[in-house]
Amino acid sequence: MSHINPNFAKELERYGAKDFNLCFNCGNCTAICSLSTKDNSFPREMIRFSALGLEDDIKSSLKPWMCYYCGECSTDCPRQAHPGELMMSLRRWLTAKYDWTGLSGLLYKHLSAYIIGFLLVIVGLIVFAAKLDWNQEKIMHFGHLFEMFAIAGVFAIILLPNIFRMWLYTIVRPKVKATVKVYYKAFSELLVHMFTQKRFLECEKLQETQIKWFEHFILVIGYLSLLFTTVFLDWFGSENMFIIALGYVESAIIFVVTFLFILKRAKKTEALHKFSQPSDWFFVIWLFLMGITAFLVRLFIDIGILQNNFWLYLVHISVLVQWAIIIVPFGKWTHFLYRSFAMCFARILELNDMKK
Amino acid sequence: MKQRIGVYICHCGGNISDYVDVEQLGKLMAKENGVLISKNVMFACSDSTQKEIEQDIEENKLDSIVVASCSPKLHTHTFRNVAIRAGLNPYNYTQVNIREQCSWAHSDKPMDATIKAYGLIRAGINRVSYSEVLESLEISAQKVVAIIGAGVAGMRAAVDLARMDNQVYLIEKGNTVGGHVAQAGRLFPTNENGKEVVDRLYQRIRQQSNITLFTNATLEKVSGSIGNFWIEVKLGSEELKLNVGSVLVTTGFDFYDPKEGEFGYRLSDRVITLPDFNKMVENSKGKLIHNGKSVKSVAYIYCVGNRQSKGENRYCSRQCCTAAIHSSLHVHEKFEDMTAYHLFRDIRTYGKQELLYQQSSKNGDIYIRFEEKEPPVVELKNGNPTIKVKDYLTTKRELTLDTDLVVLVTGMVPRTDSNSVSSKLKIPIGIDRFFNEIHPKLKPVETVIKGVYIGGACQGPKNINESVQSALSGAAKINATLKSGNINLEPIIARVNADSCLWCGKCAEVCEYDAISSIANGGKLIAEVNKATCKGCGICAPTCPSNAIELAQFTDNEIESMIDGLMSKAEISPRVESQQNNQKAGVQSLAGYPKIWRTIANALEGNTLTIPQIAEKIDQEASLVTWHLMTMNRYGFVESAGLNDNEDYFMYKLKK
Ligand SMILES: Cc1cc2nc3c(=O)[nH]c(=O)nc-3n(C[C@H](O)[C@H](O)[C@H](O)COP(=O)(O)OP(=O)(O)OC[C@H]3O[C@@H](n4cnc5c(N)ncnc54)[C@H](O)[C@@H]3O)c2cc1C
Ligand code: SF4
Ligand code: SF4
Ligand code: SF4
Ligand code: SF4
Ligand code: SF4
Repeated sequence: MSHINPNFAKELERYGAKDFNLCFNCGNCTAICSLSTKDNSFPREMIRFSALGLEDDIKSSLKPWMCYYCGECSTDCPRQAHPGELMMSLRRWLTAKYDWTGLSGLLYKHLSAYIIGFLLVIVGLIVFAAKLDWNQEKIMHFGHLFEMFAIAGVFAIILLPNIFRMWLYTIVRPKVKATVKVYYKAFSELLVHMFTQKRFLECEKLQETQIKWFEHFILVIGYLSLLFTTVFLDWFGSENMFIIALGYVESAIIFVVTFLFILKRAKKTEALHKFSQPSDWFFVIWLFLMGITAFLVRLFIDIGILQNNFWLYLVHISVLVQWAIIIVPFGKWTHFLYRSFAMCFARILELNDMKK
Repeated sequence: MKQRIGVYICHCGGNISDYVDVEQLGKLMAKENGVLISKNVMFACSDSTQKEIEQDIEENKLDSIVVASCSPKLHTHTFRNVAIRAGLNPYNYTQVNIREQCSWAHSDKPMDATIKAYGLIRAGINRVSYSEVLESLEISAQKVVAIIGAGVAGMRAAVDLARMDNQVYLIEKGNTVGGHVAQAGRLFPTNENGKEVVDRLYQRIRQQSNITLFTNATLEKVSGSIGNFWIEVKLGSEELKLNVGSVLVTTGFDFYDPKEGEFGYRLSDRVITLPDFNKMVENSKGKLIHNGKSVKSVAYIYCVGNRQSKGENRYCSRQCCTAAIHSSLHVHEKFEDMTAYHLFRDIRTYGKQELLYQQSSKNGDIYIRFEEKEPPVVELKNGNPTIKVKDYLTTKRELTLDTDLVVLVTGMVPRTDSNSVSSKLKIPIGIDRFFNEIHPKLKPVETVIKGVYIGGACQGPKNINESVQSALSGAAKINATLKSGNINLEPIIARVNADSCLWCGKCAEVCEYDAISSIANGGKLIAEVNKATCKGCGICAPTCPSNAIELAQFTDNEIESMIDGLMSKAEISPRVESQQNNQKAGVQSLAGYPKIWRTIANALEGNTLTIPQIAEKIDQEASLVTWHLMTMNRYGFVESAGLNDNEDYFMYKLKK
């Protein structure tokens, strides 16, 4: 027996859901979705749960993560209930539910929280730089250290516990009993998904999807390798020609691809870009800014004008800090992580079912 | 006795001839007494066959015709008109039903079907040989109309009838006009207030000097017939007798009254019906208040008292889905932060009303679908309702919801006094207990009683728009009938033989329509039939001890000769499968079929063509070609040759 919660719809609206109550349950969306299957059908079921406010059912569901937002369902919905956008909003809502700090929810619901966060970072940086007497070398040294610790810290303090909570909601509480072997098998597939997001390719509009998939793939590879190049190969400090060139290519890829993303989002030609939330914008814009500032910082170093234009590094590092401690742990970046784990958990359920 | 009879036996494109050996019957009937021409025809009702019959009548001076085909309900008028066009009296024609009453009923026994058809056709031939020339009756009619019931339907019809120069008596049993609409509050789809709508109509009625409105008036007795009804009305202690030409019944409906305990009704003041809820919404300002408590959430339960698969109200009331949704929209607009749950079985907001449904979803109303076999359960804790329902849109999940108010969306039921109205006016009541029209599609406002029409919701559930439409079409029909001041009636009525009648009064006793009275004739009293009132039911004829009263077209001669015809023994030989013959003989055997079949076959000779191509080639309408080609296909003359290149049409070829 489940109790209807009529206020849930309003809550979900704050996460970007729009008009989903217009759904009259025809099921077209589920029929058209190329990722929905007989045993795992969506998005209609999710819309129904949302309309009735069955929070527990949503919280324990992995289905929102199965959707890659191709937008087909929204295009074909006869009632313009935007099922695809509802799935997106559910992902945001789930992210907030998984996050033990509660900051994700706060940031999704209040644009002002984002802006305050960003400003605090800038002020903090200025104070910190002033403390170091604006010593460029020291600042860059700390910048490099920060990158390393931020990655480890964010992962250990925020993301890992959140993934644990996700596991709790979707596997433990629904009383799924899986063997170690099943876990092992599922986790081994996790890495593949994480880097390739290959399920995306199962979407029907093949050519379009291939292009989209390719863009995403390049971005993920570019992003991760730039991270590696700056953190472990110390791109800004390196003298190695190969490393320097590699960094240039990676950062260029990032800002070019994200620039294209920004343009598409602004033009709103595709269903999935119709209702961009601030979090969507921050994600692409910050990625773009990171790419371009990193590129310029190295360029300034190489032509020897960074010393006189140190502000550029400060801009770069503030973008980086904002990205690392706000957007990555609490914003859209986590979707990438949760989605990969959702695949893994779904595989666990699937393998478990097969055993039965 | 007729000596030049034409007999036409119809294949009905296989409907009859697949089972009844029409060809053999055609040959046999040619030998019957008085039959000059006997033919079997592919489609008796087709234009070409109608022309052929006309030609036969004219060229061979036929004195009567028999068409053995489908039900007389379908084509009596078609062939009467054939006779008229050929200069024959339409009553010298007899229709024999060998489809509904023979080939369809006995499709399992073709031989017996043929024997039965033989008897039926012979009966028809015998009957027609006694047929007389009859002329339709013309009577004068009052240009006065009585409208029973002054709801929106009756009021609106009164205005139009009066404007078309008819005197109108509007008879209302209540003390105010407007029926249910007067109390309805805000109405879909225009958002007008019911009272305003009624007030406007009332003003228009007052402006018409030829409308007389009687309120607190009860219908006592009705007699007479089209053109001249007598309506007795009681007004308090006063009695009035009105002479009118026609009657329009617009007595409307009653709200379904839920039983005690039905979804918690009467067990708690938190469970109310939609009409009561609407009044409450209308009277609340700022906040929705019910018995002193504020209401923030409302659960509507649909189809209450309707669509009962086992109960007596099996029908759907058509307008309650929209009415409930419209109320919900009104509530949403008028009060802040309201939650609405709609527990429905199907949403039937047809036509433009769909937009209201869409708007309600947009407002965030929650729709939950249940089925009759698992209805929602309203539980009351200290009078506060909690509803349990299995939601068929969520894999039949059992849901619970708390609500401040439960609104039962009650449908329409027939008026409690509809039986008495029906027996006074003799209009039939359907199994749904609403008044019955003759034919739901083709005669939607006519009743079997000539001159009595029905309009509005007394006929079955309707919204205002539909109620007014039907009442206005009744008004238009009435005006058309009364306009000339004369009315033509069927001459198939009773008639009295003055010599043998002794005025025993037996016939008058059994006549349901009071059509018989006594009259002095040659020094004695005899029975006299009121031509306008007699319905031709025939019940009087067999009761007469001196056989002095008979019914035209059903005289003893006619009936007895029909029995003779039916009893006669048939010499039928087993059918040689003509279909196989046809197939073997190919196109040559088309000689006995319509000319167009040969034309089509010629066009297909050595070709495969689509229907549009054939139509173009033989310069005929595509619809005509389709009709004949399909029958040719059925008879095995042609067959399909697959789709054409564009895959938009089938191609056909001759069957070898
Ligand atoms: C809850 C509800 C809400 C509705 N809301 C809407 C709406 O918003 N919009 C809409 O289009 N439709 C609505 N309808 C439908 C609308 O009420 C009907 O279509 C309309 O009332 C039908 O009109 P009527 O004249 O046929 O019948 P009625 O309104 O029933 O009027 C019949 C009249 O005949 C009188 N009468 C009955 N018997 C006799 C007799 N024996 N002798 C003399 N007089 C007699 C009655 O007193 C009454 O005045 C609603 C219906 C319901 C149940
Ligand atoms: S296609 Fe639209 S209306 Fe149909 S079930 Fe999906 S969301 Fe609902
Ligand atoms: S957006 Fe695409 S993947 Fe997501 S539910 Fe709709 S059709 Fe399926
Ligand atoms: S109109 Fe709707 S509520 Fe009324 S009986 Fe029909 S389906 Fe039920
Ligand atoms: S029953 Fe026959 S005899 Fe008697 S009144 Fe009628 S017609 Fe005359
Ligand atoms: S035929 Fe019927 S209606 Fe006519 S007089 Fe005889 S009993 Fe009356």
